[in-house]
Amino acid sequence: MKRKKALVAAASVAALTLGLAACGGSSNDGKSDKPSKTFSEGASSANDKDPTAKGPAPDVEGAKTGGEITVLAPDPDSGPDNLDPDALWSVTNNSIAQDLLFRSLTTFRRDASTGQYVLVPDLATDLGTPNADFTEWKFTLKDGIKWENGDPVTADEIAFGIKRSFDSDSFPTGPGTSYSNPYFLGGKKYTGPYSGGQDFPAVTVSGNDIILKMAKPFPEMDYYGIFPAMGPVPLDAKVPDYGLKPLSTGPYKIEKYTPNQELVLVKNDQWDPNSDPARHQYADKYTFKFDVDPSVADQTVLSDSTDGATTLVTSMLAQDYTSAIQGGKDAKTDVGSSPCTAMSMPNYQKIPQLEVRQALAFAYPYEDAWAAAGELPGVTLANGVTDPDLGFGILPPGMAGRQPWNPEIDGETIQYDPEHAKELLAKAGFKPGEFEAAWVYDSSTPEGKAAMEQVKLAYQKSGFDPHPYPYGAGSLYDVWTDPDNPLYKKINILGTAWCQDWPSAATFLPVIVGTGSPYNTGGFSEPSIDAEIERIQTQVPIDEQADAWGALEQKVMTDFMPVINRGYINTIAGIGSGIGGFANDTSVGGAPNYRDIFVK
Amino acid sequence: MSFSGGDLVEQELGLTQDEPPRDPATPAAGYASKSPTQIAFERLRKDPIAVLCFVVVVLFVLVAIGAPLWCHLLGVSTDTVQASTRVDLVTGLPKIGPPDHGFDASHPFGVAPGSGNDNLAFWIYGCRTSLFLAFMATVATTIIGVGLGLLAGFAGGMVDAVIAFFTDLFLTFPFLVAALAMSPILQDRFGTNTSLYNKLSFWTLVVILVIFGWMGMTRLIRGEVLSLREREFVKAARVMGVPTHKILLREILPNLIAPIVVSISLGLPAFVAAEAGLSYLGIGVQGQPSWGQTINSATKYWQTYPLFLWEPVIGITVLVVALNLLGDAIRDAFDPKTRR
Repeated sequence: MKRKKALVAAASVAALTLGLAACGGSSNDGKSDKPSKTFSEGASSANDKDPTAKGPAPDVEGAKTGGEITVLAPDPDSGPDNLDPDALWSVTNNSIAQDLLFRSLTTFRRDASTGQYVLVPDLATDLGTPNADFTEWKFTLKDGIKWENGDPVTADEIAFGIKRSFDSDSFPTGPGTSYSNPYFLGGKKYTGPYSGGQDFPAVTVSGNDIILKMAKPFPEMDYYGIFPAMGPVPLDAKVPDYGLKPLSTGPYKIEKYTPNQELVLVKNDQWDPNSDPARHQYADKYTFKFDVDPSVADQTVLSDSTDGATTLVTSMLAQDYTSAIQGGKDAKTDVGSSPCTAMSMPNYQKIPQLEVRQALAFAYPYEDAWAAAGELPGVTLANGVTDPDLGFGILPPGMAGRQPWNPEIDGETIQYDPEHAKELLAKAGFKPGEFEAAWVYDSSTPEGKAAMEQVKLAYQKSGFDPHPYPYGAGSLYDVWTDPDNPLYKKINILGTAWCQDWPSAATFLPVIVGTGSPYNTGGFSEPSIDAEIERIQTQVPIDEQADAWGALEQKVMTDFMPVINRGYINTIAGIGSGIGGFANDTSVGGAPNYRDIFVK
Repeated sequence: MSFSGGDLVEQELGLTQDEPPRDPATPAAGYASKSPTQIAFERLRKDPIAVLCFVVVVLFVLVAIGAPLWCHLLGVSTDTVQASTRVDLVTGLPKIGPPDHGFDASHPFGVAPGSGNDNLAFWIYGCRTSLFLAFMATVATTIIGVGLGLLAGFAGGMVDAVIAFFTDLFLTFPFLVAALAMSPILQDRFGTNTSLYNKLSFWTLVVILVIFGWMGMTRLIRGEVLSLREREFVKAARVMGVPTHKILLREILPNLIAPIVVSISLGLPAFVAAEAGLSYLGIGVQGQPSWGQTINSATKYWQTYPLFLWEPVIGITVLVVALNLLGDAIRDAFDPKTRR
């Protein structure tokens, strides 16, 4: 799942207003969710499932009904440009859609006693019944589910929604491109019900049962069920109109929606709490505003105004966080982990030498670049530099099977160490100042420029010949993912900030180190790694997969080092004093858990 | 060639309210010979506000011209330093100087939060950028505006109509939209050559300011020329067969000194402010310090480190106010209606 803020983060070298912290690095975030506890390491994600959960969801302690909640998503988070269930694949949009608007086969529920997110049935009666090798799944639709207009939700409509997710022309950035097309039987050829016809043998309906057939084992289909794309869509829905006025099945429905600006939700009286084990309907109204000026958003929440009291900010500026802490307003902030990793990716064709890629890891001024980018090292961004236990791997902390990767490379552990970088360069046969390091930075913000200056200085001291190129016309992904871009041809260090789609390395490693993945921006490609990915997905028993992924991460980082960890990301949320029940939702990538919040 | 002695006398005696054509070459008997420009300067010298503002402006100009020297003398530089040597990584605020520590002589203006850049060095070089850019833009708008104004006013007819059309056209075109549109175009076209791009970003800003800044001057000059060209001394010059370019440069232009000087003095501060505004929007100068960029990064630190924002804001405010007041004083001094 991509993250707009994190995009900027990895982009401007370290980031803007996202970042990771909680992972033990900082002393002033004692109340935040510790991600390493959210998903305990080494434990199979299957432990966090409750197939028998029934509605209604347990009451949140002290919860009241009534009141109106305003949620501000600060620039550069421009929110959904389209609310079609099959198009939703970003942290902000999915958190709103999954928690409040659209029900799907399964969903996450926050367990108040442990703070963990537990996979529970949603529209389905259970978490699905797979066959022995996970190539066929059966989900049964609950009775009595209704659309906001009172019509019953049918199994055919769910099948229609699932079939639409194969339409990569209509939904090029939808989750179906990563999960429906590759995993489902015939999914690579099927183009969805509009151009490919209704008849698709991998998605069939029998009574209230929906049967899904896979081309290769997909043991995590129950997790994929949390996406709105795995939920119902009316059979007469048209693209793209439906994305502007979708029908709700969740506790709230749309009163007003202006793409990228505003979304107003009111209570949906057709939603039956007894059928829903995860969601609540406490507030009367939600108003989401996107692309808000970050300082204005922060001041609204930190002020003690009546409006500010019932306002949430999804991501706070580090400076405002600092002044809130200094002003004794820490109760209004929450440092929550996002299961995301910011990475730089040396172009594998242009930098084929392992020693040079390793030298880049020692040449990167982690904390200096973060500070210059307006981040708080150890709070909003952290890795092995701030806490050796975090390491420098690909998988974010807390993921099942993950082992912190913090090795000694030629006798030194990774940190900013220009002398060691020079030694590694010399080992690869380059004199100081000989090897060019070229990258793009976000020139539209002073933080982006300041961070670039720090990196430039550090690369220079480390024996590289630094060439930063400014880019301010949009997201750095425009350059990183477009080989025809003139800047793409100049640079040899690219990047990605990636968040998990559900707590499994299967949503991470194939995307980052698999040949041909669009977000493998460095173009890393090794047949042995691709073969291992394929082997884990098809041959390794499900309860051993987590450890197999963990081992693969160790192997690919040690043998090839295709990415340089630029920090795990944490988000600082701003919480008005009148908001109760706030929690950071790691299951969706680090956003407020809208299911449980209320107005005090 | 003096046909204007009578006008000069009239003016000295204060008999006419009209702006006088003149030729300072011929002193009239019994009067100390003073051109309107000389009179204006005399008035300016006696105006305390004008003198004060002039001194302030000169100080800023000296700061700008001698930027490398001042930085060397004060021991500060715009070079990047490793952030952690000057900045507390836990809060992002400086380890030395304001806001949490006392005055530090090695960084008189403190250091920037986050990056640890020296504020004084960036302030001095920001002043240089602002003034140089405003100066270049003013010179260019003046040359274009005066040239087109003279041409339109004197030639009349078709030429006048065409110039008036383009004047109106550029007046209607929204300046900010053009400035916002140019930035990505430049970046797309020249972004692969960083040093060229940095230079271009400066000169494009000048060009944009000029393209949207010449119309006022053109209209002003055209109006003046329209009235001047019917005056006796111009007609006489024509009758005598003086070539047109000589009439324009020798007879008409000297009479336009006053409006031109006034227009320049009011245009400079507008350009300084425009540069800061565009840099604040992230579409200004790239690759060199400027006040607008400092303000852009400082607004977020307003609560924790207000001095960081005050420094460039005070710089711009003082410079713009001084230039404006000086401009007003110059206008008053040249205006025969405000004789004291």
